[in-house]
Amino acid sequence: MNILITGASSQLAQAIAAELKDGNNIRLMDSVPVDVAEGCDFIQGNILDPDDSWEAVRGIDVLIHTGEPPTDLPSDDLAREQMLLDLATRGTHVLFSAGVQAGIKKFICASTLSIFNGYPDDVYITELWKPLPSPEIVEMTKYLGELTAREFARDHLITVTGLRMGELVLEEEVQEDTPNLAWLDIRDAAGAFRCVLNRDNSNSAEWTRRWAVYHICADIPNPKFLIDQARGIGYQPAHDFQSLYLSP
Amino acid sequence: MKKVLVLGASGNIAPYVTPDLEKDYDLYLSDIVPHPDGKPISTVDVTSYPDVLEACRGMDALMNFTVLRDDPVVSFDVSTKGAYHVMKAAAELGIKKVVHTGPQLVRNAYDHEFGISDPPLAPGVGYYGITKYLSMEICEIFSRTYDIQTVCFLFNGLGAKPTEAAQGDFPPFTVVWEDLQRACRLALEIESVPGNFQSFNLLSYFAQGKYQVEKAKQMLGFTPMGGLEDYFRRTTD
Repeated sequence: MNILITGASSQLAQAIAAELKDGNNIRLMDSVPVDVAEGCDFIQGNILDPDDSWEAVRGIDVLIHTGEPPTDLPSDDLAREQMLLDLATRGTHVLFSAGVQAGIKKFICASTLSIFNGYPDDVYITELWKPLPSPEIVEMTKYLGELTAREFARDHLITVTGLRMGELVLEEEVQEDTPNLAWLDIRDAAGAFRCVLNRDNSNSAEWTRRWAVYHICADIPNPKFLIDQARGIGYQPAHDFQSLYLSP
Repeated sequence: MKKVLVLGASGNIAPYVTPDLEKDYDLYLSDIVPHPDGKPISTVDVTSYPDVLEACRGMDALMNFTVLRDDPVVSFDVSTKGAYHVMKAAAELGIKKVVHTGPQLVRNAYDHEFGISDPPLAPGVGYYGITKYLSMEICEIFSRTYDIQTVCFLFNGLGAKPTEAAQGDFPPFTVVWEDLQRACRLALEIESVPGNFQSFNLLSYFAQGKYQVEKAKQMLGFTPMGGLEDYFRRTTD
């Protein structure tokens, strides 16, 4: 398959590329120059630019939109907020519009489990719960990007899958930290994208089958975020942070 | 009197609403174009946060009527980013009441149904619908977090009430100015709404049995003037 991955400068995009590059043709995109792994293509372009987006989606079978911002965001707080808002809303719209016009049928959009931080920790959160994002700009814009992507599944005969990711870490780098209920090893996050790569309900008459959302985080003891639905599509996280939970 | 900033005061909605409100509220009209009736306005570009923040200072309530309907760039700038600026300013300045507006976002999904009050919104990807839908999400997020009471009115058409008999059916999902004025007053006066944010369908013609305004009646005490369908009766003699 020919796969486009946006947000190439991010750890997430590079982990997804590493996970999927065997057997697939990977094209990474970002608005800043990025050194990509051998065997992957790179296209420098801004998703806000319709021409750049069109060039990026040509010949692509699966569009993976990480929603990860470029590394050259403005340093000024307001300008940064406006850029993140623009990228998540208009940028997602421009990119997905180009993808639909190019005939792509499968779209995958990354979002975040932090939109459930408004709930106390003594509840079990599944995909059935109403998101309660805060105005924190990254959290809010990830949610707005997810909503924008979802509407494309409503209006077009395409499959759009939302993956709400936990807090991305590397298990070996957080051994001294206090365990976090939302932790997700980046390598497991990348694996989740493989699980939905072949999900295809594009011909379903019901938009609610063309759209699906899954919660992706580590398989920890007594979890807040239940991942049963993701398990149903083959998600099997390998990094469970057990040493932290087993230590006295 | 409450000080109320009206954003988009020269557009297609506000000039028909503000004359009714100005005797009871201290209105500050703002827009980027002249007012159609020549009323003085402050130049406030909703896409500029410094503009919005400055205009909001000292206000008790904000009414956001700004919209740019079908442009691939400016619709996001005005409808979505503009709403972000308004809510950010309200949060920063401690303003506790916002009135927001948008298009009905249900007809594409529910026009074959009947007895519909306030179903889940189905905006789709058209620039007008999606940008206003995202603006509502932004309003809800800020309202929930900063205890801002935000009332959002959704409608399909606006117009004067009929004055003579018409030959034909009445327009769907359309609200007359008097009803919108009444709804805006209720929104400015209501102390709180569940969850700090609520959106309400508004319309003035009901005889088709399709769209209803039960939620606005129950939560806001909205009472549409009624009887407008009488102008659309065919003669039978």
